[in-house]
Amino acid sequence: MAAGSFFGSFDPSAFINALILGISIASIWLIAALGLTIIYGTAGVINMAHGEFIMLGAYSSYMLQNYFGLPFLLCVPAAFVIVAAVGLVLERGLIRYLYKRPLDTLLATFGVSLVLMQGVRLIFGSDPKYLAVPSIFTSNFQLGFVNISAFRVIVLAITIAAVVALWALFYRTRFGVQVRAVMQDKEMAASFGINSDRVYMLTFALGAGLAGLAGSLFGVLNIVLPTMGMGYVVQAFLVVVVGGGTLIGSVVAGGATGELQSIFAYFTNDTFARFVLYVLIVVFLRVRPQGLFAPSATRR
Amino acid sequence: MNIYHNATAQWLAYGVFFVLLAVVPMFVDDSFLLNQFATYGVFGLLALSISLCWGFGGILNLGQGIPFGLGAYGMAMTMQMQSQDASNPIPPFMLNNSLDHLPWFWEPFRHTALGIILALVVPTLFCAIFGGLMFRARVSGPFFAIMTLAMLSAWYTLILDVQPYTNGANGITPPGALKFGDYAIDPYSPVAYWSVLALLAVATVGGRLMTRSRFGLVVQAVRGDAERVRFLGYNVAGYETTIYTIAGFIAAVAGCCWVALTQYVSPAQLDTTFSLSMVIWAGIGGRLSLIGAIIGAFLIQGAQSYLGDTFLNTWLLVLGGFFILVVRFLPKGLAGLLETILGRFPLPQRGNSNGNSAQRLYPQPGE
Repeated sequence: MAAGSFFGSFDPSAFINALILGISIASIWLIAALGLTIIYGTAGVINMAHGEFIMLGAYSSYMLQNYFGLPFLLCVPAAFVIVAAVGLVLERGLIRYLYKRPLDTLLATFGVSLVLMQGVRLIFGSDPKYLAVPSIFTSNFQLGFVNISAFRVIVLAITIAAVVALWALFYRTRFGVQVRAVMQDKEMAASFGINSDRVYMLTFALGAGLAGLAGSLFGVLNIVLPTMGMGYVVQAFLVVVVGGGTLIGSVVAGGATGELQSIFAYFTNDTFARFVLYVLIVVFLRVRPQGLFAPSATRR
Repeated sequence: MNIYHNATAQWLAYGVFFVLLAVVPMFVDDSFLLNQFATYGVFGLLALSISLCWGFGGILNLGQGIPFGLGAYGMAMTMQMQSQDASNPIPPFMLNNSLDHLPWFWEPFRHTALGIILALVVPTLFCAIFGGLMFRARVSGPFFAIMTLAMLSAWYTLILDVQPYTNGANGITPPGALKFGDYAIDPYSPVAYWSVLALLAVATVGGRLMTRSRFGLVVQAVRGDAERVRFLGYNVAGYETTIYTIAGFIAAVAGCCWVALTQYVSPAQLDTTFSLSMVIWAGIGGRLSLIGAIIGAFLIQGAQSYLGDTFLNTWLLVLGGFFILVVRFLPKGLAGLLETILGRFPLPQRGNSNGNSAQRLYPQPGE
């Protein structure tokens, strides 16, 4: 393997570049995982269709941009709304019957992901699509020896904004109190008059919407394809599993995995870095199976 | 009590099923078709392994492509080396990737027997180590499923990446059929079909005896409530690792058969979609019934081959929709449907409560 060059050609400036790229990778992993964290953390639903929600987000941006001429910055919130609506329909039509069977939610949502993938392929064809962005986003920043594309900075900024907004929603609003109450004890929350059904419904839609938001950003970073979701779903799940299903857990796990991926990739190559990272996660789960910040370990 | 739960009737159904499959070559002249049926046998083995692991062990395994793919690569390497000789010592694709000597881990595959043993042992060992690590940490349920998926995608990218050793996305295409000494197994012959069928029958009967043994009952108890079994003093992680490893071994056997039949392996065998479709076969056929899972594999792969041309564009749509309906309304699959139908015709009770108590230990749905 390419590990032969270990330390052989260590270049500090390139290494710092890799660290900064790591922050960018981390923000991508994190924003892909945010919606999943909320859906898993609240309702315990394993949403395998999450990747296809991301894909739907990218396609709705593409559609709005090409058929309605919407500027890209408006496509991002629009993708959030569209995919949240899809999530809402899915929750009402299917997921709500399966809350007591977590493994079956995994299977049913996998069926959903097949349907969504093939449905999009039928409508838009399987040739790649591209999202256009204002030219200012496609330029590169040059700070000393650090070189990073402007759009990656935008992704980072949106990720931070999304995390802060979610934190505010969960810890500073009445709805957030209700969600956390349902998370801790559904029956007890219900007996205090919280409509847990409604909480599940809204958090599922919120999680789906966040996937749509992520998708509209990923559509710019990569090409838009019906199969693009598959690659993100595993990554996103790993962030959730390592983080333990809480918001803070996902932030830390996303940061750590993104940085590690970038550092390993600096020493070897992208593919091998991913293999090493996944093996490390298996070993990590051996030591801490509940993840970094499990709900029971912290008092929220 | 109905005929579905009658052990004699079940064994009879197994017998009829395999006898029917065994006479197929008498009526099929088209050797291409026979080869295709034999590959369905491989899919049956995979569905069986999923049924053992997920249906009986309650361990949802989305990474069954790992032992399958590793077994397949082992077999492909063995068959590739059979066609190399002293004048032509290394496979052509390595030359194309500018490799001038055989990599060390290809060396053992020069010997056919050793190669096949490795093709079976390496995936099994991987399952034992990975399963052991995960189950000892009490990672279970959905988390374990996610981790198998992650491992699968890790192996997929790794095999794709080391092009000089595995020929990357093109895969390995052994030029000749599998040879034992001077005897070559023609993949298009009835012998190949019967060999796969014999393996399937042995695995099914073995699996069935296992699920009814003491070990099988403990495994099913773990599925029901792992915590309670742990309090009764059983080593839950040990049982989970064992059933997961057995399923992995069967998948490795299936991988070997696959390459012997198709003379081809590529990273597509480790693709997430393929591993997930194994779960779909077992889910639709009925994960709590070994034979149901096998029939599920036959039905879906058969439908994909023959209806696939008609519904080329909508096949995945139909499959996904059908799978959603099965998960939502028929958690026990088509076998569960049969059980419900047969349940309308109860057998007369023979007041022997001893005979029935064994049946009551039998798996119940609902988790």
